[in-house]
Amino acid sequence: MHDTEQTHPLRVPKRMQQPVQLGAAQAESFAAAFERLAAAVDTVVLGKPEVVRLALTAMFAEGHILLEDVPGTGKTTMARAIAAAVSGQWRRIQFTPDLLPSDVSGVTIFNQASGAFEFHPGPVFANIVIADEINRASPKTQSALLEVMEEGRVTVDGRPHQVPQPFLVVATQNPVEMDGTYRLPEAQLDRFLVKLSVGYPVEAAEIEVLRGTHQRSPEQLAPVVDTDTVAQMAEMAKHVYIAEPLYAYLVKLANATRSHPQVAVGVSPRGLIALTRAASVFALSQGRGYIIPEDVKALAGPVFAHRIQLAPDAAMRGATGVQVVADAFDQVQVPLPTPAA
Amino acid sequence: MSIVDIPRAKPPRSGRRLRYRLRVAAVAAALTLMCALAGTVAARVYHGQLLVLLVAGAALGAFAIGFALRNRPAFLAPSASLLGLAGYLLAAIVLTDDGTDPLPATVVDALVNAVPRTLTALIPVEPAPDTVVVPVFLTWLAATLACEFAIRYGRTLLGCLPPTLLYAAGLYLVGPNADGGTLYAVAFCVLAAAALAVTAAPPERRPDSDAVVDGPAPSKAPALMGAVVTTCVLLAAVALLGPAAARLVTSSPGDPREYVQPPQLTDIDLNPLVRIAEWSKFPEQELFEADTSGDSWMRLAVLTEYDGTTWQAAGDFRTAGTVIPGSGDADFTADVEIIGLGGKLVPAAADPATVTGLPIAVNLDSRCLLTPDGLATGSSYHVESALATTDPAAAETARPNLTDAATVAVPPGTPEIMATIADYVRTTYDTPFERAQGLADFLGGHYAYNPEAPSGHDLPALGFFLGSPVDAGGQRGTSEHFAAAYAIIARLVGLPSRVVVGFEVPGGSSTVTAGQGSAWPEIDFEGVGWVRFDPMPAPDAVPVPPEDTLEQMEEETPSPEEDSGGGGEAEDFNDEALEQDGDFNEEAGAEDAGIPVWAWYAAGALLLACVPLVLKARRALRRRRRLTRGGPADRVAGAWAEVLAAAARAGVKVEGSANAEEAAARLAPLKGDIGSLPRLVNAAAFAPHAVAEEDARTAAAIATEYPGTIRQQVKRWKRFLT
Repeated sequence: MHDTEQTHPLRVPKRMQQPVQLGAAQAESFAAAFERLAAAVDTVVLGKPEVVRLALTAMFAEGHILLEDVPGTGKTTMARAIAAAVSGQWRRIQFTPDLLPSDVSGVTIFNQASGAFEFHPGPVFANIVIADEINRASPKTQSALLEVMEEGRVTVDGRPHQVPQPFLVVATQNPVEMDGTYRLPEAQLDRFLVKLSVGYPVEAAEIEVLRGTHQRSPEQLAPVVDTDTVAQMAEMAKHVYIAEPLYAYLVKLANATRSHPQVAVGVSPRGLIALTRAASVFALSQGRGYIIPEDVKALAGPVFAHRIQLAPDAAMRGATGVQVVADAFDQVQVPLPTPAA
Repeated sequence: MSIVDIPRAKPPRSGRRLRYRLRVAAVAAALTLMCALAGTVAARVYHGQLLVLLVAGAALGAFAIGFALRNRPAFLAPSASLLGLAGYLLAAIVLTDDGTDPLPATVVDALVNAVPRTLTALIPVEPAPDTVVVPVFLTWLAATLACEFAIRYGRTLLGCLPPTLLYAAGLYLVGPNADGGTLYAVAFCVLAAAALAVTAAPPERRPDSDAVVDGPAPSKAPALMGAVVTTCVLLAAVALLGPAAARLVTSSPGDPREYVQPPQLTDIDLNPLVRIAEWSKFPEQELFEADTSGDSWMRLAVLTEYDGTTWQAAGDFRTAGTVIPGSGDADFTADVEIIGLGGKLVPAAADPATVTGLPIAVNLDSRCLLTPDGLATGSSYHVESALATTDPAAAETARPNLTDAATVAVPPGTPEIMATIADYVRTTYDTPFERAQGLADFLGGHYAYNPEAPSGHDLPALGFFLGSPVDAGGQRGTSEHFAAAYAIIARLVGLPSRVVVGFEVPGGSSTVTAGQGSAWPEIDFEGVGWVRFDPMPAPDAVPVPPEDTLEQMEEETPSPEEDSGGGGEAEDFNDEALEQDGDFNEEAGAEDAGIPVWAWYAAGALLLACVPLVLKARRALRRRRRLTRGGPADRVAGAWAEVLAAAARAGVKVEGSANAEEAAARLAPLKGDIGSLPRLVNAAAFAPHAVAEEDARTAAAIATEYPGTIRQQVKRWKRFLT
């Protein structure tokens, strides 16, 4: 029972019983490792330090990343760079309409020599899986990712197979060319911890990209951390201190998105948990062992926006999930000190 | 347990719910009482307690409906309240209806004429369908609005507005016809304060950022002590300055009844003295049947103003109900049936208290009655009066009441004979009462009654009556001449006088004839009232020629030189010099001996000057408390509160939705340095264990220096006051 609680993602109340979890030295060591990893990725993905740090935050929060942007902005490059910077197994799956679920998860074949069925793992059995252009695969193939993203295992022919840990899915999709694509269902979107947009680089960064194209390939990137370190850092993030008022603050934020007049479906409890986990990592990356409202605000957009389903009329008027999140922050009082605090 | 269980504190939530319900109930009770009280303010000018009950019921009913439907759709409560109002109004009309007309006609009449009749009905207003509709309707409306504002929308202050307006409307309706109602005002204010107090927002929810963030859970004792001290100071200021402020206001509140056109009098009613001659010529003419509980003088008119030609009544007649305001307990009854008496004036013994059977208007100055439609044969009414009783012994030693200039005004051109008689009276008698009685004796002893004497009471006619020889028809007249001449001469002597026209009516049932009608003078004595004198000669008396008495008086009168040193001169009770020598004005002198007005102003100015000092001291104490009390995290939070308070004084307010970094960005235009304070306050709020003593000292230093660095950004008046 104790182990189950330790590995269950809904562990925050357990930490509430242990307010002091991390010392300043531990937080600073986390921040240093995080910064080394981010700096390595930055050498390949120029001019996007915020996006890189958000992606790494998702990785250490044991979440998955959805990169959405127009072609050629470096989505795949960033995914490959993150994979290269971690000295673990990584695989890339190019999603196409004819890709089958067994092409992702693996297949069981009969070995005539041994006279038995053997499981041949698919490309999903890696520490980092790059699902390139995920919206080009059929919904059946997309859903093959659901179990492994949520539970970290693949079931083939009724037999479960654990994927290696840490396990991170970095999916990319192109929002422009919609012909021949299959929009990700809301349930699957909810399984991505963050949805990021790389965006065009600034002018200086773009010039630098042109100048050093051949020198900054992800393949040339040396690993900065190994998978064990990543796992330790993810475990460390689970011990970040969260003050009691912040829980109420987070719930009020979620309620504000749910009661927003332009919203059909607001942020789910799973989204709220995701934000807490991401904010914990973000706080550690800043060298802090506790969360503050600034962490929450920095991550609420990437974590919440893609989970908010707008009302049809609001969507037609051009409203966005990011705007809804901003409105929620304007409505909710920050739990700064009060006489009763 | 998962994160979704975080608001798991069920007991606190139920506690909050209980507190919320208690607060709502307290507000509802306070506002209901305020509405009832505001309606009761108007009820002070109504007769009896019926209207008090009606308005209290209206307030309770309206609030009950609004309260019961507070969580229903917004349109439901006003709709139900409207129905309730209709039912309650109907019930009020039925309750006050006397049944003389069919109910539908009464309802229509009451609704159509409610406003003008309520505003013009004489005080005390009789609770009738047309006079209760307006206060009941307004009370119900005020209670409904108050309930909607305060209970449905949670705007307590706005909810206090309808009862306050109702209170103001009640004061307007009352006008100067009741006392100030201090207790009502105090109770109303206390109720409003209670309603606001129980719904006061906690400090973190108040709009001023100064209170949004505060130091560490301060003790309630200082706040309570501050509230008590403030209340005491306020009460002391009111007690000290209230009397002075009240003395500065000399005007009375406006009375809506002043704008009503009074019933118009016919010529015969304007000056009923002219009817004396007719009555004297035809004494057998039957005027009315009277069944009284005792002997009385039933007054028809009281005439105060004399312009040298005619006597007229002062003041206007105003419509009254069955109850005449300002009367004592009735101890005399009279049932009257009109036979031949015409005009609009209604005979009644002074002082009438209630009249039934006739629509009545009353002259509040003279307290005479009038029926707007005029008297007609067969008209009957029942009148109850509080007979005026005077103490003869008190009148003999009383001074004349000179407060009303109209009762001592003498028109120019009085005949010389009047001045001569006045001199005779003044020199012959000492006290005011003796002079009044002496004048009556003089006229009764020197002039004769003649029912055939021609009518007339202008100055030439009175001069002829007093001074012409008997052979020429002078020195004889009717009660018209005697009363009018007496009143004018009395004024020359310095006695306030008036002429009353009426009838001498014996007790029991009788027919009052014209021969019983007469006019008589009255003198007003201080502390006693109007005293009737009879200047008419005795029936069998032989008049002494007035010349003989007056010539003898002139011979005995000393010269002016002798007069200045003589000791036999009667005291002049109307000499202003004597008025000021302290004999008659001890009370006034006692009032003037109080604290001078300038001292009140000085005290008020001193109190006002203390306000900035008190505010500055309060700020200093609060800063000290915030920066020195509690643990390091508490002191960092206090420092943050100080910085935000200083920024608010400089005009930069930070919204509650801003986090520490955003707040720091908002403060940036003030160019004050808050250094690492945002980081420290985040640590204090979200990881108190991570805040060290050094951090608290750093925060305190920042908070201490910050107000000085942005001082130039603070407006001068704020710097001076706070």
